[in-house]
Amino acid sequence: MILYIFSTRFYRYLGLQNYPPREYNPLLSHKENCYRYPFLKSRQQQLCDLGEKIMSVVSSGTKMAIEECQHQFSSQRWNCTTYSNNTSVFGNVLSYKSREKAYVNAITSAGVAYAITKACSRGELNECSCDNKIQRKQAKKNWQWGGCSEDIRFGEKFSRDFVDSIEDIDSVQGLMNVHNNEAGRRIIRSSMQKVCKCHGMSGSCSVRICWMKLSSFRDIGDSLMVRYEGASHVRLGEKKRKKIKKLRPIRIDRKTPNKTELVYLDTSPDYCERNESLSIMGTYDRVCQGLDGCRHLCCHRGFQIRLRDVEEKCKCKFIWCCNVACEICRYKKEEYICN
Amino acid sequence: MAGGVILENLSGKKLFVLVSTLLFCQLACFLIGGLVAPTPSATDMVLASKCLNNNSNPWSYIRGEGKCYSYPSDIYKDNPIPNMMANEIVFTFQIPTPRDGQTLDYSRWQQNLIGVLNFDIEYHIGTIMDRNLEITLDTKLGYRNVGDKDGDWKLFASSVEKRNLDCTSEEKIDGHNYQCGLVPLFELGSLHHDYYLINIRIPVDEENGINFGLGHLKDVWLVVINQNGGFTSVWLYMKTIFFPFIVAIMIWFWNRVHMLARKPVLLERMLMTIGFALTLLNLPVEFLTLYYDMPFMLLLQDIRQGIFYAALLSFWLIFAGEHLMDSQQKNLRTYWKHLSAVAVGCISLFVFDMCERGAQLRNPFYSIWATNTGTNLALSFIILAAISGGMYFLFLSYMIWKVFCNISARRSALPSMSNARRLHYEGSIYRFKFLMIATLLCAALTVIGFILGQASEGHWKWNETNNLNYASAFLVGVYGMWNIYIFALIVLYSPSHKHWPSEIDVNNSSSDTIEFSRLPTEPTEMSSLASFSRKSAFD
Repeated sequence: MILYIFSTRFYRYLGLQNYPPREYNPLLSHKENCYRYPFLKSRQQQLCDLGEKIMSVVSSGTKMAIEECQHQFSSQRWNCTTYSNNTSVFGNVLSYKSREKAYVNAITSAGVAYAITKACSRGELNECSCDNKIQRKQAKKNWQWGGCSEDIRFGEKFSRDFVDSIEDIDSVQGLMNVHNNEAGRRIIRSSMQKVCKCHGMSGSCSVRICWMKLSSFRDIGDSLMVRYEGASHVRLGEKKRKKIKKLRPIRIDRKTPNKTELVYLDTSPDYCERNESLSIMGTYDRVCQGLDGCRHLCCHRGFQIRLRDVEEKCKCKFIWCCNVACEICRYKKEEYICN
Repeated sequence: MAGGVILENLSGKKLFVLVSTLLFCQLACFLIGGLVAPTPSATDMVLASKCLNNNSNPWSYIRGEGKCYSYPSDIYKDNPIPNMMANEIVFTFQIPTPRDGQTLDYSRWQQNLIGVLNFDIEYHIGTIMDRNLEITLDTKLGYRNVGDKDGDWKLFASSVEKRNLDCTSEEKIDGHNYQCGLVPLFELGSLHHDYYLINIRIPVDEENGINFGLGHLKDVWLVVINQNGGFTSVWLYMKTIFFPFIVAIMIWFWNRVHMLARKPVLLERMLMTIGFALTLLNLPVEFLTLYYDMPFMLLLQDIRQGIFYAALLSFWLIFAGEHLMDSQQKNLRTYWKHLSAVAVGCISLFVFDMCERGAQLRNPFYSIWATNTGTNLALSFIILAAISGGMYFLFLSYMIWKVFCNISARRSALPSMSNARRLHYEGSIYRFKFLMIATLLCAALTVIGFILGQASEGHWKWNETNNLNYASAFLVGVYGMWNIYIFALIVLYSPSHKHWPSEIDVNNSSSDTIEFSRLPTEPTEMSSLASFSRKSAFD
């Protein structure tokens, strides 16, 4: 039982609140706090020790990931429900090694990598590395000679170090999580767009330089959602002689999933009915959209149409800077609500 | 009787040794570029920190003592501060960004700095942004050196700039970003200082419609492009090595020409000109930038390259013209029509360059493309240059075609000629063909290299796996190639002092000797080109 509790304490808890978390003791130093946080495991505590700034970046990345998950799943039966009083964040529902768990792992690992990458670009973190082909002892000389690697490389590296460290790769669940974490990170790279600029003689294209532009996190959430829908159902395939553990598709006619695809081991539980022990809310009283959407979301139980008079902000205009000017519109709104 | 150039009198073995040595040098250039030098330039993506304007400090900076308070993320969402003015928000870029726990500083080996802005604007239904928006940026560029205090930023330039922002939204879904074009911000021709700071404000003025249509601006990225220090050093050492060789070969060539009893002919003067242009390009003045602030380096580099290309293009024209087998006495004036195409092209490019990079000397934020009139002006110069380039190639192709026509006409008559005349004709044809092959080879290599370079830059993955650095190999290789090409030209086309091997034959053949002696009595060493054209007139 004790073991069980330990395994449900997740760094994702950082994403439920602003940094510093509730567990932060202002009387202690940052370092001491790091080693006391119950939601961090040993390697993560060491990484936390790198600095307060990097922890707040991890926290904001996780937060962004959870928000993105909730946005993407807003019309799904499971809507990425979080429990703020619980360090396992999503409740027991993720004890199933389901598609949803795969998505959550991928998006949080991507969120951490994304946030770290942005922080490096902002010049907020001193830790961002400059590994490049030519390895020299001094980062400064290295950079002056041939420039640095893109920030995304450090983001991925840090995320790999931080997020994957809690997984046990000898277990099948660990294999699945590590695979999905990596898939999430790779999505960032594959959704980047190439931008080029010419700067040769008189600005001509005799010399051209290209770089990759980070896309918005919404794009990453979207692409991961596509991967979620096409996730592969896998099992542990062991080669007896070499003792190499590998995930193989359950159906023999499918090819082995590549590194950017999501994998899951268990079929998802029934999200339609309320289930306290699994922390599933059920889809009763959920607002749905469109006929097809409602049929799916309400698990064929049917839905009610509720007419409401609403006052909502509408025709909003963003006025640079920092002001959103909206009109208030009154109208009757039809809401579909699941039975 | 002596005549001809070295190329004609060189034995096959010697020519083979010379050409293979030069080809080996060429290969060495490619390999040095590909294996030793890093990529020509590096980019750094810097994300703006949004600082709150502090009236007591003219500069907003994000690292070091006295740093500003910066918003962690979205200004709209997280900190809805009412009545906050747009002027209060300063987008701050402090470059270079720290790495591996070290504070980096720019080295003068990195030569130049180009800044490009990229805006992340979120799409919202109901707040559609215009496709072409004119934005006004209040920009300030400051610098600081190692040893200065953290807050001791000195003003480098400041300006209020208008730029066109071209944003489209394909998906039209809430929360997605617009696809916005790049906005060029500044170009620094010298990277003299250690740290730079860019403060940008985007003021809003409803009455004058300044920045009014801007959407939900989430982030501003600054992409800084600088030349790599490693590339600069490889490039400079290449120049330093080539420089004395070309100078030496020019002195050798000029001495040889002056040993003759006649005055130098047009083609020899052209060879000297092109040698001078190349020496100018080779002169490693960039070493001075390591000690002095020379913001005009980008412009100077363009001018030096321009002079070299103009000389090269004129040389080809005149070379083809001198091998036309007609009777005219030629000087530079004969070619004025053809050369004016080169001149017009080069001058219009020079004017364009002066308007862009020349004006940037005064204001690094200036861009000729920022305004519509400027764009039209720039485009008209470039179109003019393109037209004269086209004219030039028409002229050149026409001349080469004519030379080939003449060659085939003469060739049929060759067997019936006496030895001496045949040797003159054959020599001329051989010289022309050799240059044609060498030039076509160089041009083809340049074009292939250029295309491959563009393709390799286009493939993101190539960079990660390949040890050979393609872009540098191309640049260094092509630079070396034109040096070797000019070197070979000067060596092979310098006048030969050797006697014709068939002198006895010539004297023995009766009719031809008479014909030769009837030629205007000019110095015997007269370049066979000229004698050739004369002779063809007698035919």
